[in-house]
Amino acid sequence: MGEMKKIKNLKEFSTSADRFEGANLLCPGCAHSIIVREILNATNDDLVLSASTGCLEVCTAVYPYTSWDASWIHIGFENGSTAVAGAEAMHKALKRKGRLKQPDRDVKFVSFAGDGASYDIGFQWISGCMERGHNMMHVVLDNEVYANTGGQRSSSTPIGASATTSPAGRVSYGEKKNKKDMVAIMAAHGIPYSAQVAPNKWKDMVKKIQHGLSVDGPVFINAMSPCTTEWKFDPKDTMMISDLATDSLVFPLYEIIDGHKLNITYRPKNIVPVEEYLAAQGRFKHLFKDEYKHLIKEWQERVDKNWEMLQRREEAGV
Amino acid sequence: MAREVISTGNELAARAAVDAGARFFGGYPITPSSEVMHEASDLLPKVGGKFIQMEDEIGGISVALGASMSGVKSFTATSGPGISLKAEQIGLGFIAEIPLVIVNVMRGGPSTGLPTRVSQADIGQAKYPTHGDFASITLCAGSLTECYTQTVRAFNLAEKYMTPVFMLLDETIGHMHGKAVLPDLEEVEANIVNRKRFDGDPKDYRPYDVPMDTPAVLNPMFEGYRYHITGLHHGPTGFPTEDAEQCEFNIERLVGKINRVAEQNDGLDDLPDYEEVLMDDAEVCIIAYGSIALGAFEAVHKLRAEGIKAGLFRPIMLWPSPAKKIKEIGERFGDKIMVTELNMGQYSEEIERIIKRNDFTRLLKANGRPIAPAEMVAKVKEMM
Repeated sequence: MGEMKKIKNLKEFSTSADRFEGANLLCPGCAHSIIVREILNATNDDLVLSASTGCLEVCTAVYPYTSWDASWIHIGFENGSTAVAGAEAMHKALKRKGRLKQPDRDVKFVSFAGDGASYDIGFQWISGCMERGHNMMHVVLDNEVYANTGGQRSSSTPIGASATTSPAGRVSYGEKKNKKDMVAIMAAHGIPYSAQVAPNKWKDMVKKIQHGLSVDGPVFINAMSPCTTEWKFDPKDTMMISDLATDSLVFPLYEIIDGHKLNITYRPKNIVPVEEYLAAQGRFKHLFKDEYKHLIKEWQERVDKNWEMLQRREEAGV
Repeated sequence: MAREVISTGNELAARAAVDAGARFFGGYPITPSSEVMHEASDLLPKVGGKFIQMEDEIGGISVALGASMSGVKSFTATSGPGISLKAEQIGLGFIAEIPLVIVNVMRGGPSTGLPTRVSQADIGQAKYPTHGDFASITLCAGSLTECYTQTVRAFNLAEKYMTPVFMLLDETIGHMHGKAVLPDLEEVEANIVNRKRFDGDPKDYRPYDVPMDTPAVLNPMFEGYRYHITGLHHGPTGFPTEDAEQCEFNIERLVGKINRVAEQNDGLDDLPDYEEVLMDDAEVCIIAYGSIALGAFEAVHKLRAEGIKAGLFRPIMLWPSPAKKIKEIGERFGDKIMVTELNMGQYSEEIERIIKRNDFTRLLKANGRPIAPAEMVAKVKEMM
């Protein structure tokens, strides 16, 4: 068992030793750095990390600087998870053969990737990691778009969002396909732990990360990461947007144990209408035109249905 | 009347594709080529075409190959790492003889390399992008206008020779924004080449039953002709075979239909495979292609202003190379040749192979930066 940090309050958390430095080239207001920092600060164990090609990778390791005070691999767009799996497999083998120089030190293996690198190009690689049972955690920094290459849609982009390859205009309301349910797909591998986290609910996140790092086997974390540039909101509003996402249940927070048992980990006291979440972002601006207003109603219906499904699964307790 | 437009190289490539008759794009975002797909996503639906962003590079080329098999002119766009991922399916394009235009906007490599910086290091990759024996057709744009005209040509060559064709841009020319003079649409349309088709009884349809050095005849799908397309070696009907004689014929034909035909006919079409600038009285020859040729053009003029009679030879069709002309240049200029390119000498090797000498000068760079005309001028002065 590794060493988890004991974190009581936000002040203690925010002033604890950093293994991901604030000095980086990410956009002001980007949630990536907040999420990564929260995850790395959850443990005192040694870390082997990877970042697939994406905003996080290009903005945090620009020679001669690095934001990472931990071992860090960049390999390609699709295969950061697999590189970490290789390191984990060798660590396990060396440990078994008694060839580790510091056998008592626990090492955690974490791969970070965006939704493009996870939902799309890296999909089969992550599936392989989950299926083979590596003792690792894959974290998706889910900003629902290819933010690093110019804002193209990904299979995480939700219906109605305007992106450079699904632009809204006279003939289109933007993305027409629903967001892929990655947590469900990854849970279907029967992995010990999968969960959704959001940067505004830091206690929930730390709890989930600490649990994820303590279990034996692969863990999948989908972290909502509002993108000030592509979602088009003011950089100061990152947490406000996160609050709207979790409180409107557009991005519900829950966990799935052993691939089947679902627990909802956050129930908003006052559920906010989805409309408010959409209205706060430029990428959904066109939905408020008369011809597209029906899509807002459909959005609300989808969110309601999903919330009901999650609640029923939790109640069923199986 | 020619058309004058203000655009970028990447956008012009997409526009040319649509004007050349392409109605399908399948691809995946990658710097510095993404604007080709952005433009395709905008233009294709307007002409009844189809744009699909796929889940990865392999999906991107596979869906485009599928669309092309159905009879629709198709293209994909990427950069070096994307070509590496697509490599296996490019091979399918070669052996199954599927026309496809692959736009590669070159950036620094290997691997992730220098995503936002210019390079010409995929020249060798364009010749041999995948395993096995085949011959590649590769065009390289040396101006904004050529991003358009050569892309149109790439589609015509793909249809004529039933093969994947590489259209090479580089980061500089892909992102260059400026005026381009384009041929009239009527002129483009009048010269469009469409793949041959078999109009006989479907019972007699044998797509690969063609003479040596000629391409397969693949009819569009959904018209009653039975299809069997495979990456395995195949006989006249397209069904797999391991027959030694047939396999040998297949490879001979795949290479011959491009390399032998180009050699015999002095090129693959009637369009120029190279450009010569101030070569008539030149005493020293700079060989450059792509965006670097723009710098070389200026260098030639600067050298002339200083009394050095320099000329520029700019290959446009890199593969198969304009070997006859390169041989002539080798004989005429002796060691007064300077090859300049943004890699460690990939096309210099081809020059060396053709002129069978290694005494010429190379001005190479592989750090993601262009080569300035002043550097070329200085290097030529060293030679004189």
